[in-house]
Amino acid sequence: MDIATLKMKGLLGPLTAAPEAPAGFPFGLGAVGLHEVAETAYGDRAAATGFVLAATRPAQAGAWLWVSQTRFADDLGQVPEAALRHMQGQPPPRLSVKVRTLPDALWVIEEAVVSGAVSLVIAEVEAADFTATRRLTLASGRHGVPVILLMPQTREGATAAATRWRIHPRPSAPNRYDPQAPGHPRWRAVLERCRTAPNAAGTVFDLEWNDETLSLGVVSGLAAGPAAPRPVAREAPSRRKAG
Amino acid sequence: MLHEKSAHGLTVAAANATARAGGVHPGQRFSDARACLPDLIAEEIDREADARALNLLARWMTGFSPLVALDDLDGLRLETTGCDHLFGGESAMAARLSERLTRTGYGHRIALASTPGAAQALARHAAQEGAPQILPQGAEREGLAGLPVQALRLSPEAITLLRRFGLTRIGQLYGIDRKALARRFQSRHAADAVCLRLDQALGLRIEPMTPLRPPPEYFSRLACPEPLTQAAGLEAGLQQLVETLCAALSDKGAGARRFVFSAFHSDGQVSAATAQAARPVRTPEHILRLFREKIETVDPGFGIDLLLLEAQRTGPMEMGSRPLSGDLAGTAVDETALSALADRINARLGEGTVSLTLSEARHAPDKAERCVVFTGELPRTGPALPAREAPRPARMLAWPERVDVIAQVPDGPPLSFVWRRVVRRVVRSDGPERISPEWWLFLPGKDAGATPLPRTRDYYRIEDAEGRRYWVYRDGLYDDGRGQLPEWFVQGLFA
Repeated sequence: MDIATLKMKGLLGPLTAAPEAPAGFPFGLGAVGLHEVAETAYGDRAAATGFVLAATRPAQAGAWLWVSQTRFADDLGQVPEAALRHMQGQPPPRLSVKVRTLPDALWVIEEAVVSGAVSLVIAEVEAADFTATRRLTLASGRHGVPVILLMPQTREGATAAATRWRIHPRPSAPNRYDPQAPGHPRWRAVLERCRTAPNAAGTVFDLEWNDETLSLGVVSGLAAGPAAPRPVAREAPSRRKAG
Repeated sequence: MLHEKSAHGLTVAAANATARAGGVHPGQRFSDARACLPDLIAEEIDREADARALNLLARWMTGFSPLVALDDLDGLRLETTGCDHLFGGESAMAARLSERLTRTGYGHRIALASTPGAAQALARHAAQEGAPQILPQGAEREGLAGLPVQALRLSPEAITLLRRFGLTRIGQLYGIDRKALARRFQSRHAADAVCLRLDQALGLRIEPMTPLRPPPEYFSRLACPEPLTQAAGLEAGLQQLVETLCAALSDKGAGARRFVFSAFHSDGQVSAATAQAARPVRTPEHILRLFREKIETVDPGFGIDLLLLEAQRTGPMEMGSRPLSGDLAGTAVDETALSALADRINARLGEGTVSLTLSEARHAPDKAERCVVFTGELPRTGPALPAREAPRPARMLAWPERVDVIAQVPDGPPLSFVWRRVVRRVVRSDGPERISPEWWLFLPGKDAGATPLPRTRDYYRIEDAEGRRYWVYRDGLYDDGRGQLPEWFVQGLFA
């Protein structure tokens, strides 16, 4: 079957997302289309969850559906309502579905998107091949329900999703009131793939989450942790001796 | 012949026609029966299997009438009021029932009367195999007069007594003075039982019926002129049934939360599929979608000749008009659509797959939230929560995991700890946030000592050298006098 036939049958459309997808941060994450957020290493799931909750501002109000495969829910826990309140302010009602296998998880996501009963689907799945992401992208575009896939560090390869982010936690911001305590959380978010703005692929965002203003800001990659005292007066005498 | 163990040793429980012709009758000692017929084939009776088979047969009988009850150990009772016209009259219905039973190999005797007592007496003492007895309404007196008094479901003592008086036929009891009869019995109960059974048989007193299953309020049925053998035919039949049922439901302004689809096979089997909904529904498309996954389990086999769809757990359905715009809606969430989605997920992945997390005003972090099954309603109001909560982790582990910790004693934060086999060096820490157990739930008195009071917990928010943030706690204090040393646990991961 050649490309023209596939196009005619609607199996292969133009792979650009809907034109209203914004070309700036966060590139439509949680607002339109399908997005992937992956861990950098095992154990970064909490940072990835935090990034999703911080960056997502759903376009329309409505319930969320949180789909997770049992292995992730058992291993890395689940997101409590308190965290939603903490990071979203007024949290939307949320339904949770735990499924064992990947095909079931993908079926639930697609069913929820097609039903249009929810305003956002967040799914923790182990993998999704190109066909699955393409299906979800098409369904999401057609029914206007954004989808976010939270994926493990093993996520590689082709995808039809609008973006793929890779998240890694960084040492938190200095705490103004207690230098011994962790401050605002910081993450490094790498935009690995981006269909809406292909030039932006590969951009590294060093982000800081302010839990008082519920805002996400970009910080300098260097200003991590408290400023260390400058190493001085060790080498100067030796150099003088040599001279 | 079948035998069973009784107080008098082995006795005959049942015998076939050949054995009965040879003088063997139920209740006889097994050795006596052997003496009558030396080459008797005997086996032990399996009462449980009989009961199971009778129950299955009763389930299959719901194809003829929704109200089926067991009658003793070896009989079935059908309430056919309002059902016979579906088969073209009472005699046609009885003939059809008889024909179907013969085809499946069941020996049977059928009788139809206006009262359960009369029908039972006729079936057990007058009807013959393949010749249904039908008593017209109001003819009980004449119809029963010739039957023996055993037909009245009396105790053996009462029958013996009646026989001693020379009363062997039911007709002889009609003219007897009841007071005189009661005086001849030892106890008043025995005399009352005789009068009660007689009145019930004649329809003077009502006899309630205890059906195996409660009758459905709404049902639709589809009799197939030719047995269905194709799955496609099954789906078409289901669609027709759903449409009829939904029309009946919407006439009454009702919806149902449970639908049972039964297929009655021509070989006496019944297969069923169930679909559940979170809230009352009556949309044909939705019900059909719920059944789509289940109907594959129904195997047409040798043919299906009756389809039945019942609506259970019915309730009124509120049909609010749709808001014209989102601003006018009380809430942005369409609960009907949401529960329709939950129904479909539950239909495919099992009941209770979709859940909802509710917050509770509790101090203990593992009690502060509760996972409940979504039943079609979102919580309207949450509990009163403090305006500014202490920070809580983005992920709560399924259960707290014990870790080995190096920490300052008695109440310093951890300096390093081993979680999931990796040593993590703590760079920064915040705490403790002390959470005491809810002592008011463990007051002495009610069930003191059933569960011991949990220990006080000191929670720390810590960050390791790689920037990962954890929520750890020390279970207990060093000087709380609880015996063992406190232990450390990881309960959550901060973003």
